Amino acid sequence: MAEKKTDKTLTPVEQLEAKFAVMRAAQREFGKYSQEQVDQIFQAAAMAANKARIPLAKMAVEETGMGVVEDKVIKNHYAAEYIYNAYRNARTCGVIEEDAAYGIKKIAEPIGLVAAVIPTTNPTSTAIFKTLICLKTRNAILISPHPRAKKCTIEAARIVYEAAVKAGAPKDIIGWIDEPSLELTNKVMKEADIILATGGPGMVRAAYSSGKPALGVGAGNVPAIIDSSADIRLAVNSIIHSKTFDNGMICASEQSVTALADVYDAVKAEFERRGCYFLKGKEIEKVGNTVIINGGVNAKIVGQSAYNIAKLAGVKVPEKTKILIGEVTSTDISEPFAHEKLSPVLAMYRAETFEQALDMSEQLLMDGGPGHTASLFIDPAEKEKMAEHARRMHACRIVVNTPSSHGGIGDLYNFRLTPSLTLGCGSWGGNSVSHNVGAFDLLNIKTVAERRENMLWLRLPEKVYFKRGCMPVALDELGNVMHKKKAFIVTDTFLYKNGYVKPIEDKLNSMGIQHSCFWDVAPDPTLQCALEGVKQMRSFEPDVIIALGGGSPMDAAKIMWVLYEHPDANFEDMAMDFMDIRKRIYTYPEMGKKAYFVAIPTSSGTGSEVTPFAIITDAETGTKWPLADYELMPNMAIVDVDNMMNQPKGLTAASGIDVMTHALEAYVSVMASDMTDGIALKATKLVFDNLPDAYNLGAKAPKAREHMAMASTLAGEAFANAFLGVNHSMAHKLGAYHHIPHGVANALILTYVMRYNASEVPTKMGTFPQYEYPHALERYCDVARYNGLVGKDDRETFDMLIDKIEELKKTIGIPASIQEYGVKEEDFLATLDEMTENAFNDQCTGANPRYPLMSEIRQLYLLAYYGKPTKEAEKI
Amino acid sequence: MSERIILEQAANKTVYREGSRIVKEFTASHPMSGVLNEAYIHACVEDAGVPVPRLLGVTPSENGGWSIAMEYVSGKTLQELMDENPEKIDEYLEKLVDIQLETGRYRVPNLRNTRQKMIDAIQSLAEIDASTRYELLQRVHGMAQHTKLCHGDLVPSNIVLREDGSYCILDWAHASAGNAGADAAITYLKFSLDRPELAEKYLRLFCRKADMAIQYVQTWMPVVAAQQLTKHREAEKELLEKWISVAEYQ
Repeated sequence: MAEKKTDKTLTPVEQLEAKFAVMRAAQREFGKYSQEQVDQIFQAAAMAANKARIPLAKMAVEETGMGVVEDKVIKNHYAAEYIYNAYRNARTCGVIEEDAAYGIKKIAEPIGLVAAVIPTTNPTSTAIFKTLICLKTRNAILISPHPRAKKCTIEAARIVYEAAVKAGAPKDIIGWIDEPSLELTNKVMKEADIILATGGPGMVRAAYSSGKPALGVGAGNVPAIIDSSADIRLAVNSIIHSKTFDNGMICASEQSVTALADVYDAVKAEFERRGCYFLKGKEIEKVGNTVIINGGVNAKIVGQSAYNIAKLAGVKVPEKTKILIGEVTSTDISEPFAHEKLSPVLAMYRAETFEQALDMSEQLLMDGGPGHTASLFIDPAEKEKMAEHARRMHACRIVVNTPSSHGGIGDLYNFRLTPSLTLGCGSWGGNSVSHNVGAFDLLNIKTVAERRENMLWLRLPEKVYFKRGCMPVALDELGNVMHKKKAFIVTDTFLYKNGYVKPIEDKLNSMGIQHSCFWDVAPDPTLQCALEGVKQMRSFEPDVIIALGGGSPMDAAKIMWVLYEHPDANFEDMAMDFMDIRKRIYTYPEMGKKAYFVAIPTSSGTGSEVTPFAIITDAETGTKWPLADYELMPNMAIVDVDNMMNQPKGLTAASGIDVMTHALEAYVSVMASDMTDGIALKATKLVFDNLPDAYNLGAKAPKAREHMAMASTLAGEAFANAFLGVNHSMAHKLGAYHHIPHGVANALILTYVMRYNASEVPTKMGTFPQYEYPHALERYCDVARYNGLVGKDDRETFDMLIDKIEELKKTIGIPASIQEYGVKEEDFLATLDEMTENAFNDQCTGANPRYPLMSEIRQLYLLAYYGKPTKEAEKI
Repeated sequence: MSERIILEQAANKTVYREGSRIVKEFTASHPMSGVLNEAYIHACVEDAGVPVPRLLGVTPSENGGWSIAMEYVSGKTLQELMDENPEKIDEYLEKLVDIQLETGRYRVPNLRNTRQKMIDAIQSLAEIDASTRYELLQRVHGMAQHTKLCHGDLVPSNIVLREDGSYCILDWAHASAGNAGADAAITYLKFSLDRPELAEKYLRLFCRKADMAIQYVQTWMPVVAAQQLTKHREAEKELLEKWISVAEYQ
């Protein structure tokens, strides 16, 4: 008693505020419930609602004066049983999804307090629907009924509430406003965490403007088309069934039917035969003006029977008339029949063509119910027409050969459309959702994402032949195992003139393989050169391509291979930079359908025989296209030192130090892995141990040559998979701007970059999940120790490695600075900023352990230009 | 002293011309605040630069009430012109719409908001049941908050066209800041009551020139009908009640 007295002294707003507090407390408690507890409550509540379906239906009709008791029974039944069935096994509490491999976990949390606005047309069923989905999702729900339907709405909510509490739900988990007023409704919407607003556009707009997230829905004006191919009996009776359901109050109910001219009479006859009344002459206007007032529907006719509406309009029709049909022509809003009528009143149009029917339907939809529902009756074999209809209608539900009232709410005449009494109309209808609203709209889903490392792979040519004298053995396989018929050799003029091709040709001849040769590849191969070669290739039609040479012929041959297999390939697309080669936007064309690719290196440097890279220059524009994709990986590499014995000294030095750079960068790369580490380490040792002899003695040191050949290929395998770093980025640009051989350019900056990378406090570290913390210094020290260099600590060990590299550089005649190499100071400074930006943007930068700032690259260039002590790079 | 020419005699006021002045003399029973408020709105609108008769004074009158004096504007009202030249009706309707759209471009921040005015009117209506009021209020709440100058009774008789083609708008008692759609709905309602044959034509013309959906103006119609119902005019009751009885789609 005392409590009641207190209540009476509070204003309605104060009472509501008190209610918020208790409901929020109840919800916090409910939020701790397990899925099992929730499912028990959900079931008990659904059972109770279902049991009360008849009294609730009677109450609704009695209170609102609208609709049909028997149909409202179905709606209540549907709201209880179908909603329960749809979510009975759904996981809505706690962890609802888990993928251990990807480290992803999804956790469902309730939203909190749901404000529910309930319409007069479907008061009890909507209340059942909304309370049930809130219970299933551990939300509290506060219902704001319409004053015209408050008793039955509250009764439906009370039945669900009491059953829920009996099954263990917290007290006050469902609440309602006893005396609805707009002030209270607005207050509820402002206070709630989310609004489930089913109602008129005014209500929905108010919900959206409350500042809280709203699931609002909109008006419908469902146009049905009956195509010439349709089953007319099914079509007409479906429409009658749907349109008379609860006296036409479902928003997904048909408002117009457009029949194709050739079936119009048959459609009309079927409507008449089944008890529908076609309005004649003045009757159309009379009914139209009774049903629609200023573009709105007359409140007095909503949910009334056809007979009563006719009577109100002063038109006499048989008492059992099912639907009043007005045959009209205009789809403009000035035509009352073109509107949503919320009653068994239907417009009927004639269309000469299917196209015209689509135009009419689209106009009706957009003017009266954008985004809601559209209906089509058609022979299901008419796929094209159905697709065109679906394409044209701005409707979030398109139902085919279905009573649209039943079809739109889902699960009755179709079985994958979510059952719901709140139908989203998308942005066309001013809504945030375009689907049938359900329990999952009332959850906050937390995604727990654990750190995972990138998938990595090791990509190598199908076969790598090595050891001195392996070439004839490998070539033998082309004829005697693979049965190739035509070989196309790509090489440069020097090699061709000096007889390097001859052993290959002899071997091919012995196996009866026809061959042709393109020997015009110049250093820094051009697109024009590749096009020339591919012309010859196309007329020859080889089934195997043999690239013989240093990096240039191998790169040129790879490009010719692409153009030969895919004449339309676009280099601009292929050269597009990527962050992750497996996520790149451009998909490379598949290679190898026409020809098998064999690479035979003649220098120990680029490693191109085992890498998926090629660089080509467009001589006309000067653009360099760096191409990288595993499709460019040679199928076979033949590393035979016999082809490399007589490399000139300069080439030996430049390509030899290039190998060292490849190995070092691959080893400290953010993508370095156990698969590549061993290969890279071995390559560094082979270079340290053999490059001086290979350089000084050349062919007189065949073992050193052989080890260098091995080192080159190993380093290629490492960086083909672990990639390179900013040393290469900078060397690419330095080489291009100042015509410095690639290997020398690498060497000129190598020790500066190493000191820069070795910082324990880099400005920024590289982004890759495997790269856990800045550890380039440790990695360089691994290299040092592998090569027998051990200082008292990492710093000293690292210094020893730097010294050893400096010594090696000196031994093989690398100048001490870029300046000493012969680049003029003014030329260097003039290009510095451009080189810096381009180096930063180079594809190699991304794998560097330290993510460089452009200003840092610039400083490195300057240090290397003037030959400053490398220690200064540690200060960057 | 010039002769007084009575122009309009209503229950609560007498309007007369006295030389170059027009005087609106309210009866003693008319609340002082109402008179001062009307003069205040007029002053706000005049200050904003809207073409209106110049306000000359607000004074207590001999009858114990208050009077508003303003400048007399020579010319004919659009209403007079429509009656005199029925063949030119289309031209005059277009003029009306143009003036209405021009008025809407003014911003007069001191005026009351149209939505709030409508809400107050609906809440004061005892003739309609609470549920209908709830629906009407919901409808108004759903409307966007605009700030265009709305005359509130822009009918042809409130517009004077001068010989030189310029115009002047009279009677600002109902002005507010708000939605042009609501203002058009009021004009449409007034036409529907007085000249129903012009109503539809006006509406289409307004919506075309304002680039506004007819549905938007129509949304306001039950609301402006409710507001008009507060004037308790028996002859209007049937039409207004019909207009009000529109269900929200749901």
